[in-house]
Amino acid sequence: MKLSVNGTEHEVDVEPDMPLLWVLRDELGITGPKFGCGIAQCGACTVHVDGLAVRSCQLAAVDVEGSDITTIEGLGTPDNLHVVQEVWIAHQVAQCGYCQSGQIMQAVSLLELNPEPTDDDIDAAMSGNLCRCGTYPRIRAAVKAAAAKLNGV
Amino acid sequence: MSKAGTIARRTFLLGSAAIAGGVAFGTYAAKRPIPNPLLDSLAEGEAAITPYVEINADGITLITPRADKGQGSYSVQAHLIAEELDIDPATATISPGIPGPAYYNGAALSEGVPFPSYDESWLAEGLRSFMAVPAKLLSVQITGGSSTVPDSYVRLRMAGAIARETLKQAAANRTGVSRSALSTEDGHVVLPDGERIAYTALAADAAKIDPIDDVTLRPSSAWKRLGQPNMPRVDMVAKCTGTETYGIDFKLPGMLYATVRANPGIAGTVERYDASTAKDMRGVHSIVPISHGIAVIADNTWRAFQAADAIDIDWGPSPYLANSPEIFETLEATVGNADAYDHRQRDEGDVEAALGASDVLEAAYKIPYLAHAPLEPMNAVVLVNETTVEIWTGTQIPLFIRDKAAEIAGVEKRSALVYVQPMGGSFGHRLELTHVEQAIEIAKTVMGTPVKMTWSREEDMSHDYPRPAAVAMGRGTVKAGQVDTFDLSVAQSSLMPDWFGRLAGMTIPGPDATITTGSWDQPFAIPNYRVTGYRAPAMVPVSSWRSVGASGNGFFHDSFLDELIHAAGADPLAERIRLCLHGTSRKVLEAVGQMSGWDGPSLGENRGRGVAFCMSFGVPCAIVTEVTHTEAGIKLDKVFVAADVGEVLDPTNLEAQLFGGAIWGLGHAMNCELTYDGQGPEQTNYHAYEGMRMYQTPQIEVKALSNGSKIKGVGEPGVPPSAPSLANAIFAATGKRIRELPLNKHIDFV
Amino acid sequence: MKPIFATLTALILSAGMTSAEDKVQIDPPAAGSISPEQGLQAWSRIYEVTSHPRCANCHTGASDRPMWSGPAYGKARVHGMNIRAGESRIGAEFLMCATCHTTKQEDWDNANLTPHAAPRVATSWRLAPVEAHWFGQSSESICAQLRDPALNGDRDVMDLAEHLNHDLILHWAWAPGGGREPAPYSLQAHVDDLLAWGAAGTPCPQD
Repeated sequence: MKLSVNGTEHEVDVEPDMPLLWVLRDELGITGPKFGCGIAQCGACTVHVDGLAVRSCQLAAVDVEGSDITTIEGLGTPDNLHVVQEVWIAHQVAQCGYCQSGQIMQAVSLLELNPEPTDDDIDAAMSGNLCRCGTYPRIRAAVKAAAAKLNGV
Repeated sequence: MSKAGTIARRTFLLGSAAIAGGVAFGTYAAKRPIPNPLLDSLAEGEAAITPYVEINADGITLITPRADKGQGSYSVQAHLIAEELDIDPATATISPGIPGPAYYNGAALSEGVPFPSYDESWLAEGLRSFMAVPAKLLSVQITGGSSTVPDSYVRLRMAGAIARETLKQAAANRTGVSRSALSTEDGHVVLPDGERIAYTALAADAAKIDPIDDVTLRPSSAWKRLGQPNMPRVDMVAKCTGTETYGIDFKLPGMLYATVRANPGIAGTVERYDASTAKDMRGVHSIVPISHGIAVIADNTWRAFQAADAIDIDWGPSPYLANSPEIFETLEATVGNADAYDHRQRDEGDVEAALGASDVLEAAYKIPYLAHAPLEPMNAVVLVNETTVEIWTGTQIPLFIRDKAAEIAGVEKRSALVYVQPMGGSFGHRLELTHVEQAIEIAKTVMGTPVKMTWSREEDMSHDYPRPAAVAMGRGTVKAGQVDTFDLSVAQSSLMPDWFGRLAGMTIPGPDATITTGSWDQPFAIPNYRVTGYRAPAMVPVSSWRSVGASGNGFFHDSFLDELIHAAGADPLAERIRLCLHGTSRKVLEAVGQMSGWDGPSLGENRGRGVAFCMSFGVPCAIVTEVTHTEAGIKLDKVFVAADVGEVLDPTNLEAQLFGGAIWGLGHAMNCELTYDGQGPEQTNYHAYEGMRMYQTPQIEVKALSNGSKIKGVGEPGVPPSAPSLANAIFAATGKRIRELPLNKHIDFV
Repeated sequence: MKPIFATLTALILSAGMTSAEDKVQIDPPAAGSISPEQGLQAWSRIYEVTSHPRCANCHTGASDRPMWSGPAYGKARVHGMNIRAGESRIGAEFLMCATCHTTKQEDWDNANLTPHAAPRVATSWRLAPVEAHWFGQSSESICAQLRDPALNGDRDVMDLAEHLNHDLILHWAWAPGGGREPAPYSLQAHVDDLLAWGAAGTPCPQD
């Protein structure tokens, strides 16, 4: 089976129903997407498939054959940050940080679909991503700041 | 050097390819005449294993031994060292080091002997601050009790200062300029003529001289990074780019993957199991019985999960009472029962006489078991060889793990090596080691091959050791518009013997103060004031949960105080301030009043606010919560948090810890409980245990005060007052007094 | 609706809306062969289906919030995580339903084995149209709605049966997996009831 992750084609020999999360983590060694719940309750495994945010624990490998998969590693790197990552760092959002790959991937997807989200929009879009440390106030602020930055405000 | 020693050394020198020229500051100081445990681990000439600062030709490594579960402890420890060392911590490698007595003083206690007394001046400073931590327990509770900052405040700055002065001495020796004429800046010694010599270039020289330990710490007014508003956490970039490697991400060549299914009645038996389907599933290496359960070893975590699901297991009965209605019946039979009396650390005035002399207000309170449920499920990578065991895991108790590992693997303690990994939360979960014990048992079956054991979320939640369920009974009186009598009885199972028994195989005798911590120790002067702890029998095995005893007692004490104040007809904030006998605490209450514009509990129709206060871990913390009673339920509008930590080292992170603590306390108070129906908890994943999500999160304003005389940690003190502030606000908005958590059993939230 | 949502919604709704395969036999009884009483009996079974949590939880009318209710949930409540389907009914304005209720391959039968995981089908997960309001509604109300082309997507009973035959998200209700209670009876029985109700002249309890 061929998977395209962060612009690179990978040949993997896995069961068709192995969740994308585990293909990424244990077969390809791409560990930015995290395992938190396995049932789409926490959002820590969020990646982009053809540009839309999805929980990679809920996708089978066969579902994404031929799709473009982007993980947090493909979004930006420490030396070449995505705008949302820059803003996240400026706002010092992370505590334990375990949910933040998913939070950032979800926020990027939100801002692509809705470049000027209101507070209510942010609360609706981001409430599927659980943060046990309680970084929500800074996530809210960071999403707004990222929107402003992306809109050139 | 033994193989284990070699690996230890290599791992210790994170980021350093070249060991030559390495210098260990503080090591020499610790090597002075009086023997101490550090010397044991320095045998065989392992001079490179150093307490806090290591420099070689390639760079600087700062050792930050207190575990970072997300509360920012690595960052604050690194900044403490770096402030005196004159480096940007972002340019250094940050490593927790190899656990050892120099860092983990509790190691001595785990051996059953009194805490050792170090008399080296710089170390003694640090130890004094450690000994100042109030509870005896904390000397063994390695990272916890909000103790990192008070413990590290002097010791780590001393380490930085000693390293700096020693580097200057090395430069002085090389250049002939006296040390007093040299200065330091940004990782360099600066000569009077402006010439700069990098620390890394001085490492080899510095290794040859005695460390300079007669140093004076800089006043906080001279700090360049510490205490400043923009003090970026050292781990922030990694955590925002997916490049932080948590324990669950750790990988070794040839590693196998495993998971377990253990009896949800913790420590219960496996009566029978059938793995005939599972063993033939793709990728399954082996299926092995372990203590209280069955493990699957496979070539991929998901395949291990799948195979574990396919094993048919009959569990033996739960070894303890695990039925929620009966548990609460037991607790209710315990509270106030003289046979279950544990301790009474507060007894002022004449409570009995006062209760006999006027109308008594009585109120019964109840709180549930709560899981820690950090987002990263428990995991450990373990490699067992003939004479060594190595463990990579995120933990708060590395030395207890070391000792257990040595025992299970049958090796010498010094050949049991624990490499502490970054952690995706803990909240107290990582004060336990059951998952590591399992991982070692598994790894023993594949000697020489590393295995990563990962719990599923369901396994994690059903094998968490929860915050104890508890009940409390308040009785009190009011007189002339004031609170006159406050009598609180609290009953719960004792968590300390449970916990310590699991860690060290021994019990802690005597009363368990955690039953009333957060109630008996509050800074109020009430004419008749009594708090009594009652010990319920051991039921579900329990443990510490962010803010420990104060997590429940904060709710009991302040809810009942609020009821009495209401009965007295007094203002909730004004009466708390009037009753407060501690200046620092009073200022915290006044501050939260100013922040919230407090002018009484009412905010108009269907709106209300509640105030609550709890002093925990030496930090007075007050919270005002504002709510609106909408048609669909209670909406949390705004929360104000004020706390006094003595001195603020990292304002940005302190704010995060306080609002995070409030969110933790509020989310669980609203939405969470573990209930039992004969075996494990009925809530096994986040669909049934939601905590707080963003849409329910109020706006939060935080203010840190610095009136207190001692520096304190702030990971936990935001938690205890949050639940009662919300319950009190709901009362103000609706007239409904809720005395049981979670609150959503009694009222809906939007 | 903002333009980007409209485009996205159209794109998603046009893709994979129907399955090629027939899932049920559509064999309507002859007109007049079903008595009004039999028709009402058929309706009462149809109501059992439409008011069942597997169906009603996503037929929430003007509210764009799906529900969590049924034997596994205790007290009925709105879907956790503050989920809003928006005007798009697929969550495009906020959080796509498909972010968690991912779209599975059609020939994969074991997609929904895990308890409490987000159910998935081989089409985009979504909320039913506003007019099709079933959650908490009476038998009379749902009956009136289903026989009124203005409220049922301009369908007659045969069209409704075809809709049931081909809309994969509906098929899931009878095979929800993960320990969820399926909708009552079976897809075929439900279609048969619908056809019988039609043959009886779509009688409603309030007639």
